[in-house]
Formats: sequence, C-alpha cells, structure tokens
Amino acid sequence: MLLSVFTEDLLVRVYIKLGSESDRKTWRLVCKDFLRVDSVTRRSLRVLRSEFLHGLLTKFKNLDTLDLSVCPRIEDATVSVMLSQAVNSVSWTRWVTRLVLSRASGLRYGGLERLVGACPCLVVLDVSYCWVYGDREAWAISSVRGLRELRMDKCLGVSDVGLAKIAVGCGKLERLSLKWCMEISDLGVDLLCKKCLELKSLDVSYLKVTSESLRSIASLPKLEVLAMVGCPFLDDYGLQFLEHGCPSLQELSAMVLYSLKDLKNLNTIRIDGAQVSDSSFQTFSTNCKSLVEIGLSKCVGVTNMGIMQLVYGCVGLKIVNLTCCRFITDEAISALTNSCRNLVSLKLEACDKVTEKSLDQLGSCCLQLKELDLTDCCGVNDKGLKYLSRCSELLSLKLGLCTNISDKGLAYIAHNCIKISELDLYRCTSIGDDGLAALSSGCKNLTKLNLSYCNGVTDRGVQYIGRIGELSDLEMRGLVNLTSEGLTAVAAGCKKLSDLDLKHCGKIDDSGFWALSYYSRNMRQINMSHCAVSDVGLCMVLGNLTRLQDVKLVHLMNVTVKGFELALRACCVRIKKAKLIGSLRFLLSTEILETLHARGCKIRWE
Amino acid sequence: MASSSTSVVVSNKEKENKNTKKVTLKSSDGESFEVDESVAMESQTIKHIIEDGCANNEIPLPNVTSGILSRVIEYCKKHKEAAGESEPSVTSYTSNSTTNPLTEWDTEFVKVDQNTLFDLILAANYLDIKGLLDLTCKTVADMMKGKTPQEIRETFHIKNDYTPEEEAEVRKENQWAFE
Repeated sequence: MLLSVFTEDLLVRVYIKLGSESDRKTWRLVCKDFLRVDSVTRRSLRVLRSEFLHGLLTKFKNLDTLDLSVCPRIEDATVSVMLSQAVNSVSWTRWVTRLVLSRASGLRYGGLERLVGACPCLVVLDVSYCWVYGDREAWAISSVRGLRELRMDKCLGVSDVGLAKIAVGCGKLERLSLKWCMEISDLGVDLLCKKCLELKSLDVSYLKVTSESLRSIASLPKLEVLAMVGCPFLDDYGLQFLEHGCPSLQELSAMVLYSLKDLKNLNTIRIDGAQVSDSSFQTFSTNCKSLVEIGLSKCVGVTNMGIMQLVYGCVGLKIVNLTCCRFITDEAISALTNSCRNLVSLKLEACDKVTEKSLDQLGSCCLQLKELDLTDCCGVNDKGLKYLSRCSELLSLKLGLCTNISDKGLAYIAHNCIKISELDLYRCTSIGDDGLAALSSGCKNLTKLNLSYCNGVTDRGVQYIGRIGELSDLEMRGLVNLTSEGLTAVAAGCKKLSDLDLKHCGKIDDSGFWALSYYSRNMRQINMSHCAVSDVGLCMVLGNLTRLQDVKLVHLMNVTVKGFELALRACCVRIKKAKLIGSLRFLLSTEILETLHARGCKIRWE
Repeated sequence: MASSSTSVVVSNKEKENKNTKKVTLKSSDGESFEVDESVAMESQTIKHIIEDGCANNEIPLPNVTSGILSRVIEYCKKHKEAAGESEPSVTSYTSNSTTNPLTEWDTEFVKVDQNTLFDLILAANYLDIKGLLDLTCKTVADMMKGKTPQEIRETFHIKNDYTPEEEAEVRKENQWAFE
C-alpha cells in the first residue's frame, strides 16, 4: 500500500526522518525501491573494507563525504578501481566536498593526485597521519584550487617547499593544521601567511618555528584560532606581536600567556603546564569577560584566590579544566559554582582536596553539568555522589581511583543520572555486583564503561552488564573473578560492542571467546592479553569477527606458535594493528610476517 | 474575476475588529468548506492560486476527499492560531520544547489509522503544507524505528521483491562494507 501510493520523493522525505544509522540499514533491506531511495539520499560514507569499494561507489551517486580512514590497504591501484566508471553514468566524485584519507599511507602522490583531481567540488581534505607523505604529495594537494580546510598532522616529509606549493595553489584556505610537520620552518610559515589571507584557524604545534613565525602569523587579518603547543623555540619576544595583531583572535593555546591583556574577544584559552599567578587571573577577570572555556591543566600556581578572582569577572564560563591543580579546595569550587551557573564541563582530576561539599555545590547550582572528571579525587565519597546525582544532565562521569565510593553511591548516580553515556570506575575497588545491577536498570544510554581492576566484580555483576544494549566500549582489565560465563552474557546482550579490553582476566577460556566470536559482529578492537584462550578460541575470534582491526595478544600461554600462525592467517586481510610477544618474531614464519606487512598491518612486539 | 465574501468577524483570538476574507475549498466528493483566507494560505498551493487571482467562487481540490480536507483545515487553523498568539519564532512544531502544547496537539493529531495517515501525507504534499508534511512523514519514520525489515513489510504491506541471494548481498554490505 505504501509503495503504490508514494512517489520516490515522498519516500525520500520519510527516509530523511529516520533517526539512526541502524534504522537506515534496516530500510535498505525492506525492498528494492527502498534500497534505491537510500542510494540516492545517502550523503556520507565511511568504508570499512576495500573489496566493497567499487560496488559502493557505483551505487551512491550523491555523496558529499567519503571517509576511507578505517579502510585497510588503500593504494594507488585502489584509486584506479574507484575511478573506473561506466561511460555514460555520472561519477560518485561529482558532488564530493569532503575527503578523509587519514592514515591511508599506502596512497602516494600518483593516486592522490588522480583522486583529488577527480573531485571538482573538493573543499575539505584530511591526510593526517600519512606519515610518509612529503613534498610530492603536497604538490598533488596544491592542485585543489577550492580547498578551504586541510589537515596534514604528522605528514613528516612535508617541508617548506611543499608548504609553499600549497600556499600558492590553495589561496582560499581557511583552516590548516601542520601539527608535527617537523620539516617546516619560519620560511614556510612566512610564505603561507603572505598567500593565504583567508586563514581563520592555524595549528603549528610542535614545529620548530621561532618568533619570526609569530610576526608573520600576527599579520593574518581573519585569524580566530591559533594553536602553538610545544613549539620549543617560541619565546616571550614573539608573543608581543600577538598583542598588536590578529584583531579577531578568539582562541589561543600556548605555553606562556602574558600578552593576552588586549584580547577582548577571547572566548577560549588553553594553556598546558604554564606558570600562572593570581595576577594572571586578575587580568582575565578584568579584560576577558566573555571567556567561555579555560584550560589550566597542569598549570603551576593555580590557587583558590586565583580561581575566585577569575570567576568574579568571567561569569559565562562553561568549560573549566583544573586537572592536577592540587591546591584547589572546596572554597574555590564553591565560588566557581555560585558564579558560573551555566557550567557544562568540569575537570578536577587529581584535585584531592575536593570533598563532598563541592559536589553538594555542583548538585545545587550547576544543573546543566554534562561532563565531570573526578579521577583520583580521593575526597569523593558516597555522600558526595548522592549530592552530585541532582545533576541529571550528566553524560560523562569519571571516578577512576576514587577508592572511597561504593555500590551505595553508585546507585544514586544510576537512578538519577539516566542520560549518562560514559562512566569510568577504574580501580574503584569497593564497587561490586550490586552497583552493576543498579547501573543496568537505570542507565540505558551507557555506551562506554570502564571497570578495570574492580576486583569485587564477579560473573553475577557482569551478567547485568549484558542488559545494557547500547554498550560499545568496555574495559574489564584485571577482573580475576570473571569467567567465560560472564563474558558470554556480555557478548550475547551487548550487540554493539566494538572495543573490549580483557587483559589479565585469567579465568576466561575458549568457551567465552567462542561466544564472542559468535555474537560480537561489531568488534573492532580487542585486548586478550593474559587470558586463558587456546588455539581454537583464538582462531575463532580472529577468523569470525570480520570487523576486527586491532588486536593485542600478548602472553597467551595456552596458544601454540602454530595456533598464532593459523589465526593470523585467517585475519591477515583485515588486521591493521597487532601486538604480540617479542619471542614470536623469531618463531612465526617469514611468510606470515611478510604477508601481514604487505597488507598494511603494523605489528608491535612486546 | 475574483470575488470573495467579506464579513466582519471578531475571532476569539483577535483583539480588534477586522474584515476577514474567506475562501471556499471544494473536496473531490463535492463538499465545500469555508475558511479564513489566512488559514487557507498555510497551503502554498492555495496561496499561489489566490495570489494569481484564479480563486473564483471556490477552489476545487480534486485530489483531496472531504474527510481528509477537514482534517487538513483543522491542522492549518490550529497552527495559524498558534502563530498569531506567540512570537513567530517559537511556534513551529519542530521547536525543541517537549512541553510545547502545539507538539502535544500534533502528536494527538497524527494518531490515526494508516490509510488516513497516508492520505494526509499525499494531501500535504499536493497542497504544499510543509509543517504537515514533515509531521506526517516523521510519524511514518517513527513507526519504522527499531523494527526488523520483515516487521516493516508487514506493517506497511510491502512486498519483498528481493531474491534470497540479493537480500544476503545487502545484508553483507550492511554488516561489513560501510557505516
């Protein structure tokens, strides 16, 4: 009835209203007309396996984004396959504006040139972590005249010559990241700033640039975001230039902060490990009243007085990072919560003087709070969690190393903070099965959970985890009481599981891994080190889980060399990263090692 | 030649006396509905007819039955009223507030049988009423949420025209090829 009545454009309207990717995937299976609607309407594609590439690109003609960053073995030859088209059909490249080729280091300048050349509308290109890329690849990129955004983090071979080519060819660049491109010097940056006057965002972190570069950068009329973390040769002299230039500078990450007093539009500032004083905060409070985000992680000299001065003027603060600011006490947090009612994210890792009084304040004043990091805050206890549970908008909560919390405290959170999607209980040794029971009944949206070393947890508790259907990331290191029974319950219940860490769960044997290999079709990354799996179990896991790309297999005492050979052979087509015990380097056949290397797999030897 | 009946009407929601122009809409089964012109103009199709001066005594709508037309008019009236009451920026049903009374009304409005729902979609499409079209399409999409393909086929009486091999191919793609 639906089909005979609806035209394709009405079906498209219904399709667009589907909320989730899994609904869209189900839609494709209903009938052929629905499949065609999906093919015509889907805009973004992240390909997982290269053998499907040609088929997919023939189907999807209206793509604006193609992401090949998790697709193993993209090489120049792959590009030929991607660009081969029927003579009279429109190519998938026609409307592509965004190309993500991060980590596709198998692709070299020839393939890159053809690929970017085939996409007339290309505006955003990401080639980060293609560590072999150099000036030739930069040359290929410079042919994309309309490029606005380019990420070249860790393209280690790119030098001033390559950067110059890009600066001249891509004059419309607005966002550029050159993080870790260590061959680049002041010369390259200077030319860039002369040619690319539209630049709004520039990241030169970790480059060996000096104050001369700052002088060039200060001339960029539209710059809003500048990141210069870890530039070893930068000094105070250079920072002066920022005082008078960059009128629209909005965000600055730097090791030293003196010259900021004239930046009235500053809304974000992140300084790692910088030396600050109470007077710095006085400056912010007076001059940067529109501050929304401040990052003071590991800064030296952050005191209660300083924070109190800061929040007196900067009442709009939403994101505050005070990681390792050990001298902060409840007094400062109280001032913060009273002034900044719109607080959304607060990081207090290692602030061990913080007690339940602060959590009481948060629970009373900052009800918009979404993210809270209390890792290593030993002052946090069950009473504190009870107060905190009033923040019902919480999405992410980190309580790692908080040894004073128990199931009782966790239950408050589980019952009231039902939106929680990320929970870290690393080494919270007083958490046990009852806490997990509460969690599974209250927090249906949990996607990421860390229970590593909570050794009070047994199979009974873990079975409750199997009821949390949205879970995708689970860390259960060192759960010595966990057996195959518990793992089976998790595998069967958490169908979306894609990241699993079972290191040191020594009691889990083949039957648990059998269940995993049967149920956990979405598994992308697994750490099985120190588990009691044998040849059969390992083969099943590596052979059956077709999405598995990253495996850690150290100290598998019950697996023989032959077992490793067979298992690695079964998955050599898709594995991208593997961690193996060092002795295997000499015991495995050269054939398998060469095959893995040729397929683009990176092996780390323990 | 355009002629419209003018009458002095004080509606409950309007504070001043105003001349409210009316138009008559005729359904496919011959029933006539008199509505305020401003309400009828929620439909872009009707708006264009009126603006082009082609609205004589009645605007015939051969694609819409009386049952559906009366519902559509109800929708347009409600949304027009809401637009008149509060600031323009707050009234669309797509506003985020879940306690928005209009959202609740809309939810009740689409609690109808499947045939009526589809007829409403077709009418909203033909009459070009964006809000109603979005609302009804979203309702259909929500009916598909979390269902398996077979359940969707059963709910909407769709024939499965895949061969087992073709279906397996699509399943394979879904599972392993992309996301």
